[in-house]
Amino acid sequence: MKLFEFQGKQLFKQYGIPIQSGTLIYPNSSVENLEPPMVIKAQVMTGGRGKAGGIKIWDGSESIGEIIESMFQKRIKDEEVKAVLALTSVEIKEEHYISITFDKENSKYAIIAGISGGVDIEEQAYTNMSSMIVMDIDPLLGLQEYQIRLIAKKLNMDDYGAFKNIIIGMYTMFRDYDASLVEINPLAKTPDGLVAVDSKVEIDEKAFFRNRSKIEDFAEQIHTLVGADVFSANEDTITYVPLSGDVGLVSDGAGTGLLSLDLIAQKGGQIANFCELGGITSADVVYKALKKASMDKNVKSLLVVLIGGINRMDHMAEGIVRFYQESFNDIPIYIRMCGTLEDVGRKIMQDNNITIYENLNDAVEDAVNRIKE
Amino acid sequence: MSIFINTQTKVLILGITGKTGSLQTKLMRSYGTNIVAGVTPGKGGSLVEGVPVYDFVNEAIEEHRINAAISFVPPKFFKDSCLEVIKHHIPFLVTTTEGVPDHDVVEVLRYASLNGTTILGPGSAGLIAPNKCKLGSHPPQMYREGHVGVVSKSGALSYEIGKTLTENGIGQSTVVAIGGGPFWGLTSTEILKQFEADDETKMIVMLGEIGGSMEEDAAEIIRQHITKPVVALIVGQSAPQGRSFGHAGAIIQGDTGTVESKVTALKKAGAYIAKNPMDIVRIINKLEGNGE
Repeated sequence: MKLFEFQGKQLFKQYGIPIQSGTLIYPNSSVENLEPPMVIKAQVMTGGRGKAGGIKIWDGSESIGEIIESMFQKRIKDEEVKAVLALTSVEIKEEHYISITFDKENSKYAIIAGISGGVDIEEQAYTNMSSMIVMDIDPLLGLQEYQIRLIAKKLNMDDYGAFKNIIIGMYTMFRDYDASLVEINPLAKTPDGLVAVDSKVEIDEKAFFRNRSKIEDFAEQIHTLVGADVFSANEDTITYVPLSGDVGLVSDGAGTGLLSLDLIAQKGGQIANFCELGGITSADVVYKALKKASMDKNVKSLLVVLIGGINRMDHMAEGIVRFYQESFNDIPIYIRMCGTLEDVGRKIMQDNNITIYENLNDAVEDAVNRIKE
Repeated sequence: MSIFINTQTKVLILGITGKTGSLQTKLMRSYGTNIVAGVTPGKGGSLVEGVPVYDFVNEAIEEHRINAAISFVPPKFFKDSCLEVIKHHIPFLVTTTEGVPDHDVVEVLRYASLNGTTILGPGSAGLIAPNKCKLGSHPPQMYREGHVGVVSKSGALSYEIGKTLTENGIGQSTVVAIGGGPFWGLTSTEILKQFEADDETKMIVMLGEIGGSMEEDAAEIIRQHITKPVVALIVGQSAPQGRSFGHAGAIIQGDTGTVESKVTALKKAGAYIAKNPMDIVRIINKLEGNGE
């Protein structure tokens, strides 16, 4: 779950990381109390906001009402602007980059610092690696003081105490909130000390079982602003990817799903959607997946690829039978079913007069040929 | 010999009393896996499929010789149960759990590497050495004993290829599913090295998928260390870019992780590239014909 800038900064404040004072503005909020100079920032999830016109300086010469009004009219890379953050401007002397995230290669954490922060940080990482410092953090030992000292030296921090508090705040927050990313870009040196001018925070959805109460307010705000229901999206394990062809695909594994996708293409078919059940699955999940995949109006035939290990074919058969009984359309379905408890599953299908395939190639071929007819 | 498991493997099951744990215990036992004990906190003293259940790993260890464990616990108990196994120096642990918080995974992997426990997973379907031992959820009817070692991220894909090989008369030494990532205990490259050292394995099938860089890393190992023929199938070649396809790893970003980058690296390293499961069979048959 990605947080908005204002949400990340709310956490920064809680962890003693200095931020600019500011006001969050919705389309109907009053702007009368605002005093120039201010920075007006569209609150969107997408990156590259500044380049897309989502950040404006208000020096007092224009009407703040109009600036904010025009901000709400904008679409930033297809994202509507539903909230705007008005911040007191700060005089930036230097910009740096700091983030804490996962080092996937070594299964540890990494702290990344850049001598110069700003909008082109990714490019900088490719072109001038010597301006970046990357250090791994042992998840069992945590961030060490020598690491903070090293970065402080490289970034020429004259107020070490303030810098150390920021880094420790970031790391503590990274752990407390099960974050997968805590980023400050830029961390600005100003005449009044260090300030986190922007925030980027991502929280691991897999940890909702233990951090839900902490992030409920954020999730609520995200729901209001972008309509996405963070929690319910995470309730079932189905991965659903709509595509543009006419063969629907439901599989009980990502690997066999991708294989089926290739086989469909090799036999000259085009896939309409990719629906993978994921994890330990149930009759209910396969039923929902079949419904979802067959509701796509492009689907002219539906291929169901099941090969159970942990996933049980008796449960799969129950879900499929339920789908057949309630089925409201006549899309032809081609089911390959085998694996754990396949005998029980096969029997259930037979009792309900549903034909199943043994061989994946045969099922794919028939599903694709049906469309060519 | 097979890799990691054999007829001498004595297994502890974590989460043995759960729905999945008890069914999988039954299936492994009926295959002949020597399951000596199970652990579920609060359920000590009971029996599951005739296997004694304990509250703690140390209680199981006092009563039984154990050299491998497999875990079916839900994500919220993953870290605690793994740490308990590692603390008691069980050398090999398969973790089937998916959806574990990333912070818990890196802590467990780190603790395991410091204490000498090899972890397969998380999110792994486990492994099977046909006719010897099954430590995981591989459906046994898909396999027969032989000389091809198979390594896959995806469990289901490893079953699918096992099925295709078996139906075409090609047996397997060991079939290993390492899990969908993005974090792994054992990686494909380590499994490849094990197969290289294993006398029973004459050929290796590596199943990869779009996303990540593990296949590219494996190509480097194949080039440097693997003398046995490697047949590789990378699935997802017709998947559009920038979309996630279930496994956390199966997403193409930029030009790394594409089928082309993987195929190019593997070809360069001397691996044979298959386009689909039947193609693997054709390549293996051809290699065997040439070898004789």
